[in-house]
Amino acid sequence: MKGFRNSFATTLQNREFGLVLLIGAITFVVAWFDAGFLAVGNLRDIIVRSAPTAIVACGVMLVVVTGEIDISVGSLMALLAAVMGLMISTGEWNLSMWIGIPLTLLAGTLIGLCTGTLVAIGRVPSIIVTLGLLTALRGITTLLMGGENIDGLPRELSSLCKQGILGMPLAIWAAAVVIAVTATIIRQTPVGLRLFAVGSSAYSVKMSGLSETRLKLFVFAYTGFLTALATIVDVPRLPKIESGIGSEFELLVVTCVVVGGVSISGGRGRLAGVLLAVVLMTMIRPVLTFLDVGEAGEKWTKAIQGLFIMLAVISDSVLSRHSGRER
Amino acid sequence: MNLSFVDRLRQFRWWHEAVLVVLLLGLLAFSGAVMPNFLTLRGQLLLSRHVWEFAILSLGMTLIIISGGIDLSVGSAMGLCAVMFGICYVNSGSLLLSCIACIATGVAGGMLNGILVAKIKVHPLIVTLATYAAFRGIAEGISQGESYSKFGDAFSQFARGMWFGVPIPAYVFAVLATGFAVFLAKTPTGRFIYAIGHNERAARFSGVSVGGIKFWLYATSGLLAGLATIVYISRFDTAKADAGKGFELEVITAVVVGGTSIFGGRGHIVGTVLGLVLIHETRSFVSRYWRIDELKAIVIGFLLIVSVLAYRAVTRKRTQSVIVLND
Repeated sequence: MKGFRNSFATTLQNREFGLVLLIGAITFVVAWFDAGFLAVGNLRDIIVRSAPTAIVACGVMLVVVTGEIDISVGSLMALLAAVMGLMISTGEWNLSMWIGIPLTLLAGTLIGLCTGTLVAIGRVPSIIVTLGLLTALRGITTLLMGGENIDGLPRELSSLCKQGILGMPLAIWAAAVVIAVTATIIRQTPVGLRLFAVGSSAYSVKMSGLSETRLKLFVFAYTGFLTALATIVDVPRLPKIESGIGSEFELLVVTCVVVGGVSISGGRGRLAGVLLAVVLMTMIRPVLTFLDVGEAGEKWTKAIQGLFIMLAVISDSVLSRHSGRER
Repeated sequence: MNLSFVDRLRQFRWWHEAVLVVLLLGLLAFSGAVMPNFLTLRGQLLLSRHVWEFAILSLGMTLIIISGGIDLSVGSAMGLCAVMFGICYVNSGSLLLSCIACIATGVAGGMLNGILVAKIKVHPLIVTLATYAAFRGIAEGISQGESYSKFGDAFSQFARGMWFGVPIPAYVFAVLATGFAVFLAKTPTGRFIYAIGHNERAARFSGVSVGGIKFWLYATSGLLAGLATIVYISRFDTAKADAGKGFELEVITAVVVGGTSIFGGRGHIVGTVLGLVLIHETRSFVSRYWRIDELKAIVIGFLLIVSVLAYRAVTRKRTQSVIVLND
């Protein structure tokens, strides 16, 4: 009996199991009210919407696993969108798409590398660096755009992002590749092991002769690169680029990482949990639409988002206490 | 005690404050030289109008950060407090009752943070990230985007009026700041806050009621959010769900620039006040001299990073040796 109870508790502790259960329950209830929720078009829409978040969450997850945090991705997205818009829009610099896009990716990686340098070499806490960048990058974006919106992105890019290749928008393809690469890094490479090791005990890693600095530089640069990628595949879907793009995106991404079961103090977490959490968080808005709560109800979206984080952390804490694990 | 000159310099405890004062004097001298009407008493008083909410919030934030925590939810708590104030005023017509409701909401919100941090033992960053979304979401949900205004001239006089040529909120802040400074420096509980921030486990084993103190710290931060909201509403004569948006960043910046360690265990109210003044003057000067609003955000963001970077560079040797000893 005790064995059964223990295994029951272990299953409940499994974050992926809980998330699948929650997503299933919500889907069931909403489909009960309106079967249209299960239509292929709607499900596809949810997946497409969650793709950019999933891309960036892969990077931020690795950052959190090493025991750091990055809350600047929303502002970085806005800055990169502005840079990309200025470079390749007609009527601005008129660069070719094939030069502008790699340059945007390069810019994202370089800014991520700067963040990483400040954290790993400058020894400034990552929460401070990214808090500063959150404000500063948004300011730079507004300054760059000079109070005007950018429209006139190349037609091919917009259609690639909306209709896509083989019926799938570009974001889905990008997300699939990023997830595969991130999973490979975590599972198959020594780098993945070391990232978790740094998060568990930076001191042991140092004593084992591994470079903490290079690992941290890598995760921040990777996050910067992924933010650029998410910007490229997501922003052209919008009719125009505004300076407010990506505001509170960092909150959404960190929420997904935490709800997905990654320990905020580092060293623990699984990619599958994070991806499920991304789907759950993206579902909130369409679910409210289908429940027909009207505009009044949709004002509660943010409150529900907060509730989910609270649920996740409380269940984490309570369940692990019951199993008597050392905390 | 035959200390060399260098040792004496090392032992000087007010390095950080000295640097802040020098920076501030430099800034004031420069601004006075290039913009003569900036340094007049009248100009300064006019500019000081919007600093009091930050100032009130920063007191609670200083204590929380010294204890090794963080409170990202203060800005959102202000939104919720403002909505409660508005609803209470519409229904009862009594300003006193509305103010009580406003402060009670703040305290309740702070207590929720406190319970989650102290009793359920969730990382403060995550707790307040959850309530950051939740408070603002609930405020938006309840108010449905409506704004409440017209609270009468007498109420507006609270934030806009002057006593002996000094804005009334300045007196509130002066009393609070003195109280907090004395509490932190002279009472056992105040010293325990440092102990918790320095080494929580050691504090607990020494018989400090770690959970209790943390709980009341977050409740206090909520109380101050309620107070700040009253000043805010009085200044704009409007209560809306977006009150205090982004305030948490500015407040944390002021506390950290003021020399409080984000890892806890070090800092005091004098530093925070200096940080507040420095940031406020920088903001006002930059936005008035160059007349570009975005520059404010950029300067403050980089000020935060550079101040910690500079501090790290100066204290590098000492901190590193301490880390090795601890491990």
